[in-house]
Amino acid sequence: MNSTAPIPVASAVVEVKDLKLSFDGRTVLDGVSLRIDSGQIVALIGPNGSGKTTLLRCLVGLEKLDSGSIRLFGEENIPSVLPRVGYVPQRLALDRSFILSVREFLALRRKETRHWFWQSHRRTDAVLLENLPHLGLESLLNLPLARLSGGQLQRVLIAFSLLGQPDLLLLDEPTAGVDLPGEQTIYELISEIHRRHRMTVVLVSHDLAMVYRQASWVYALNGVICCEGTPEDVMNAESLKAAYGIHVTPYHHHHHENHPHAH
Amino acid sequence: MLTEAYMQRALVAALLLAPLCAFLGVFVTARRMAFFSDTVSHAALAGIAVGFWLGLSDPTIPMILVGLAVAFAVMWLKQKTDLLTDTIMALLLSGSVSIGIIMLSLLKASHGDIHRFLFGDILAVGPLDLWLAGGLALLVGAGALPRLSDLTLLTAQEEMASVSGVAVVRLNYLFVTALTLTVALSIRLLGIVLVTSLLVVPSAAARNVSRSLRQQIVLSVASGLAGGCGGTLLAYQLDTPCGPTIVLASIAIFLTTLGIKHWPS
Repeated sequence: MNSTAPIPVASAVVEVKDLKLSFDGRTVLDGVSLRIDSGQIVALIGPNGSGKTTLLRCLVGLEKLDSGSIRLFGEENIPSVLPRVGYVPQRLALDRSFILSVREFLALRRKETRHWFWQSHRRTDAVLLENLPHLGLESLLNLPLARLSGGQLQRVLIAFSLLGQPDLLLLDEPTAGVDLPGEQTIYELISEIHRRHRMTVVLVSHDLAMVYRQASWVYALNGVICCEGTPEDVMNAESLKAAYGIHVTPYHHHHHENHPHAH
Repeated sequence: MLTEAYMQRALVAALLLAPLCAFLGVFVTARRMAFFSDTVSHAALAGIAVGFWLGLSDPTIPMILVGLAVAFAVMWLKQKTDLLTDTIMALLLSGSVSIGIIMLSLLKASHGDIHRFLFGDILAVGPLDLWLAGGLALLVGAGALPRLSDLTLLTAQEEMASVSGVAVVRLNYLFVTALTLTVALSIRLLGIVLVTSLLVVPSAAARNVSRSLRQQIVLSVASGLAGGCGGTLLAYQLDTPCGPTIVLASIAIFLTTLGIKHWPS
């Protein structure tokens, strides 16, 4: 008997080929290629100005490529697959004079709540909380977005993206401007979302210890992909020096984990 | 006083334009576009001069066209050059005002005419202005209300709006067009110098006592209506220039809401 059952192949959610991009004559991405498979948590690490945020922006069509190609879910026409993508930018530059409440902001992402202006709060809240039962947003709904703490704001931005029920979640430095306890909560939230929704997560981060704990695959970027692999493969002094251009020493945590830190 | 035709026209104009300004003003202030509306209103001076040069008794149409040309020039230069937005607007504002003043001086326009457009005049609102204001109110209502969510998201975070499927470029142009037309038509009542205040002050007054965007929009429109209509009536009663009177009425509302905000509970 001849068994011809096909070997399961992980489907590529993101495929980037030889991506080049420059701003005002300065090359930011110089031939970046990468592949991200379904269900992974992938971290992009690298020093400031290494092109991490730019790469994320390219993935959602916010930057015009000089050359190269990007496919999301096997599709080169990015706008057509954007409904399957959640994107959380680094900052929300909201003017304090604009008192958009958390309820109103979240309502913008769902078809059933897009007429929030005419709807009762009860109806809007029912839709929001039904779709985001585990995010603990009830106490935030009445607050103005511009008055949230860094951690609360990140939680709301992630919730906004989740309301679109994405298969791919892109997070640009989700803990920027968040205090230490808040950071831990955000990472736990990301891990929980990944586990619960089985979605692919790509995050830009400076926190190498978090990357070590959470990511299933790491790309170290500095204009080009300097190295890639599992956190264990990439988190060594040699690979990190290639990305950061400085010496980075792994240290031993009490739980015998190697948590590298750049300094 | 309401039996006089010019007063009826002025009040209808205030009823149509003040809430429109107040609604757009919520987004103008949040998007930090007050200087943009100032640029467009000042560019109207060149439009008025073109109207006089063409021998038109009512320069509304050239005023609108020049306003739109300047508004789109700001957006185009912002996209195509690395000049700061403020620099672009300052260049276009001062350039168009200078062209307008030189043309008006060559055309020997009377100080009374210039004064009317600079500070607003109840008597200046003509039937054409009313038709245009009515059409604009209908257009903005029909265009903006179904797109309120998109406009709100665009104001909160342009990139998230783009990724969420909002046609960002088209919506930006639509918003700027609505804003330019509203500003150009409101010049009759408020005057070039003060028209931006009808965008900014009601929205700021509403902001003092609102806890959500819905409240801010509703209260801003109400405050715009009260300031616009109240100011027009006061200008008639006191025989004062219309624009400054509307502005002072709006500021009085702003101060009242500021008092309410800080009133010890």
